[in-house]
Amino acid sequence: MDRKIGVYVCECGPNIADALDIDRVIEAVSGLENVAVVERYKLLCSPGGKKYLAEQIKEHGLTHLVVGACSPKQHEATFMGVCEEGRMNPFLMQMANLREQIAWITPDKEKATERAIRHMKAAVRRVRYHAPLEQKEIECNADVLVIGGGIAGMSAALLLSSPDRKVFLVEKNTELGGMVSRCEKLFPDMARGSEITESRVKSLKEDENIEVLTGTVVENVLGFFGNFVVTVREKESEPQEFKVGAVVVATGADLFDPSALAEYGYGKIKNVVTAPELEEMNLKGNITLENGNEPKSVGIIHCVGRKEKGYCSEVCCRVGMKISRYLKEKIPAVSITQFYQDLCVPGSGAQAFYEKTRNTGVEFVCTEAVKLSGSVEKIKIDHDGKIDTVDMVVLLPAIEPAKDTSEISEMLGVEKGKGGFLTEEHEKIGPVTTTVEGVCLAGTVSGPKTVRDAVSQSEAVAGKILSSLVPGRKLETEARTSKISESLCTGCRTCLTVCCYSAIEYDESRGVCVVNEVLCKGCGNCAAACPSGAATHQQFTPTQIYREVIEILR
Amino acid sequence: MTKKQQKAKEQVLVIGAGMAGIEASLTLAAADKKVYLVEKEPLFGGKVIKFEEVFANMECSTCMAAPKQQEVLQNDKIELLTLGKVKEVQGEAGNFVVKIEKKARYVSLEECIGCNECFEPCPVSLPNEFEENLGERKAIYIPCPGALPNIPSIDTENCVRFTKGENCQLCKEACMFEAIDFDQKDEEVELNVGAIIVATGFDLMDPEQISDCGYNGKANVYTALEMERLYASNGPTEGKITLRNGKEPTSAAMIHCIGREKAGYCSGVCCMYSFKFIHYLKDKLPEITLYDFYSDLCMPGKSYQPFYEHLKDKTESVRFQDLKIAHQNGKVRIKYKSLADQDKTLDVDMVILAPAIMPAKGASELAGVLGVEQDENGFFGFQSSDRSPEESGRDGIYLAGCVLGPEDIGKAIAQADAAAGKVIALLG
Amino acid sequence: MPEEQEKEEKMSEEFEPRIVAFLCNWCSYAGADVAGSSKLEMPPTVTPVKVMCSSRVDPVMVITAFLRGADGVLIAGCHPGDCHYDKGNYYARRRFAVLREIFDTLALEGERVRLSWVSASEGPRYAEVVREFSAKIKQLGPNPVKHKT
Repeated sequence: MDRKIGVYVCECGPNIADALDIDRVIEAVSGLENVAVVERYKLLCSPGGKKYLAEQIKEHGLTHLVVGACSPKQHEATFMGVCEEGRMNPFLMQMANLREQIAWITPDKEKATERAIRHMKAAVRRVRYHAPLEQKEIECNADVLVIGGGIAGMSAALLLSSPDRKVFLVEKNTELGGMVSRCEKLFPDMARGSEITESRVKSLKEDENIEVLTGTVVENVLGFFGNFVVTVREKESEPQEFKVGAVVVATGADLFDPSALAEYGYGKIKNVVTAPELEEMNLKGNITLENGNEPKSVGIIHCVGRKEKGYCSEVCCRVGMKISRYLKEKIPAVSITQFYQDLCVPGSGAQAFYEKTRNTGVEFVCTEAVKLSGSVEKIKIDHDGKIDTVDMVVLLPAIEPAKDTSEISEMLGVEKGKGGFLTEEHEKIGPVTTTVEGVCLAGTVSGPKTVRDAVSQSEAVAGKILSSLVPGRKLETEARTSKISESLCTGCRTCLTVCCYSAIEYDESRGVCVVNEVLCKGCGNCAAACPSGAATHQQFTPTQIYREVIEILR
Repeated sequence: MTKKQQKAKEQVLVIGAGMAGIEASLTLAAADKKVYLVEKEPLFGGKVIKFEEVFANMECSTCMAAPKQQEVLQNDKIELLTLGKVKEVQGEAGNFVVKIEKKARYVSLEECIGCNECFEPCPVSLPNEFEENLGERKAIYIPCPGALPNIPSIDTENCVRFTKGENCQLCKEACMFEAIDFDQKDEEVELNVGAIIVATGFDLMDPEQISDCGYNGKANVYTALEMERLYASNGPTEGKITLRNGKEPTSAAMIHCIGREKAGYCSGVCCMYSFKFIHYLKDKLPEITLYDFYSDLCMPGKSYQPFYEHLKDKTESVRFQDLKIAHQNGKVRIKYKSLADQDKTLDVDMVILAPAIMPAKGASELAGVLGVEQDENGFFGFQSSDRSPEESGRDGIYLAGCVLGPEDIGKAIAQADAAAGKVIALLG
Repeated sequence: MPEEQEKEEKMSEEFEPRIVAFLCNWCSYAGADVAGSSKLEMPPTVTPVKVMCSSRVDPVMVITAFLRGADGVLIAGCHPGDCHYDKGNYYARRRFAVLREIFDTLALEGERVRLSWVSASEGPRYAEVVREFSAKIKQLGPNPVKHKT
């Protein structure tokens, strides 16, 4: 088929028209191979200009379009839309940036014209090698797997549930509820943990669209966004397989083991307990020392393991304050001192919670380091040289990644990042997604956080999935993806190792690599890495780029 | 259900076009909802576009925000209504009737190409609020280079046509595209939406309201946002950091927790951005001596403390109890009490304050219009552990970002997606 | 000797470098646009070639540019940590390092290739990079390996 390239130079008012000699540019381009028409126009991005272009495409039967105008970052989308109006594939268009990169920075009109001619010729030479590209549509499954039945997992499942979408909630323990169900109350409003989890468990059990699988672990997750195949196993039974479109990881975190640090005497000195152990005692209704008596004085130590982990776990200060509330409620005469390095009480209401706690008579002592030693039935707390003696010590350990994090990381292809937690796609603008499309994180699996923020994240995950995996709606792929030629591919897998999105798979049976167009984001890294030239980046092929570069340098 | 009610369920109003509003809009649009994104300023992007970099990865703020902004502008399902304010909300979840007051821009969005030729002839110059009054603008203006939409607006409170009734046409005459139209009128826009997301963000506490912080707009005491604009490569000094007299500072102190006592809460992000300022200042002035004054270091999460550890050798961290700032012989004098109860003094060239984060101006008025709760600090919603942070107390109205409390961008984005998720689940 | 020096200097004055700049769509191309919309003056030596990510640029592309007459090649991407495609710019950095190492074997000065990080708002920085790099290339003189076509 004969190529007919239409070339249009936008005057952009005086911006381009006054800065360079457009007629000379038109003259220079007119003689190029395959150029069918070259025109100038006052303002191509205006409604009139767009209409004109679309008509020109139809009138001249143009097969390709070159627009010399402002930056493609301004109007590439606009002119691609015009191509569609003119029934031309939008990828058969190339823009030359005559304004930001030439007219506005080259005061010498002669030099500016020379440069414009060079840029326009390069665009014409390049566009000739453009191929029509299409966004593909792929069937997808809108069901969701939620791994973890704590507050985050339950919240995600409940918001995702709908008659046309099934949610599988898998929990390795026999009971749902996670950490929150092991707390009598939660800060800052001292709401009952059990009520919070029980109401959710009830809703889950009544929800026909949610299948809850307790005592069950996820053994494998294969596939990709919209098309995952999941294998789960309940204890000793046969594995079960089902298909989902997205996976939510809400597997929680563990606590730092203070027995690693000699200064706290955990496991050695009597009546030194961790916060969860205190919570357990509290839930059973009796906070006592080992000898069965009630403690008359308690020391609460913050920041246990903070130095070793290198980060602040955010919630412990407030957990410590909550625990002192439990103690005051159950043992009104108890004296409590909290030892902290920095008081972490961010947000509206957190400081008020602290002040209210302090007003119940709890003392707060700022100290760099704390060393515990046992003395008869008492515990000596050495803080910066001063000594306090108490009956009982509660340690607030750092939050650290759960022990099975490496397994989950490998199974899902989500990397471990800061602190050893699973890493989110972007700390600021991608807090719940990951670089593996379709796999989302909610709760402490991605780092220490409050229950409030865990719930926020789980609902955010639901929002992301509800808007991207719509039952009955196909998934659209990026058009400018990479492609790997089977005949040229040697199966070296270099491309696979450089892909940041796990978008390339190795096909064992054929010994070649294949690009998954659903996951490919179109960066071109694999194309640059491929030693045999098998991998190409559509719209940025070597031919296209070389033609552009060679013409620039002619 | 009537046709009108059915249509309402396909439409959502997002109030505030900062990072949270943008994220909510994009997620809703992906779910095929029509989004009306209302923003009171002539540009959108919120506070984040005032920063050069964000902690803790020190990423370029524009690189982070601009692609999202472009997506909003190019998305057919999102209608951005700048210079708009929500005046009235009636109805209920699934069917709200909202009245928006949309001020006239006096410049056509279709005709204007953003060449900026209309500014130069304008006879009125005044301090530029976007630049925290460190730079100037005209009565017809774009708040900063790179502002989106890249279309100027006329400030009727300063343009002589409106304030004095003069027939000045200088901007119109300079425009090659006939884009300026003095006959445009303020409009009242009525929208029928199924749900509303409030993402109106924050403002910093006015330092002039904080006693003894030394701020008077003239001395070398700056607020955090002023520091951001000083360092910004598209700011009034193109990133050059100098004192008011043009000289380079040899010492600077970041004062955390300013206004914390008055506000009654910790704003959560100021320690982190003060550390960011260490990076800013050392980048431009490697020899500068730095101090950080704080009452508690608030750096929660897996990446914030490592950020501080990496920077703390470049500054002296000083814990204080009481702190007063005054001026002495051209220097800024910090008088404070150490934790050991000793009275100390330090003179520095420059002080950067981290004022408390408050709900944005007009928040209470908006809360009244929306019929939603405010907590004792003026933030919307509830600080409780058994309600999602996005709940406002009124069905169909959700919250995201600093409107519900001071926090970092990551939390705001999660809340935006969560609010969008709740809207999608509500409206079906 | 002084005569030869004079001749060299005169050539250097007339010589206008041809520099190809591979700019990434998200950061450096946008930064170059901001330099343009801020009307910052730059020598007319650089022609930008837009790629989606600096990681698209492979060494063969750069060498081809030199063989075809480029006097200098500039690769610009997002600052480390800011890459729109997660880690693409780190790969660009590694490829660039390899390229610099083998330049000696190609009888080309390593300084003819430059890798810079320019963010989307850094118009002035882009202009500065362009000015500096053009001056450097001018000083180095025309490309010695250009094919005579």
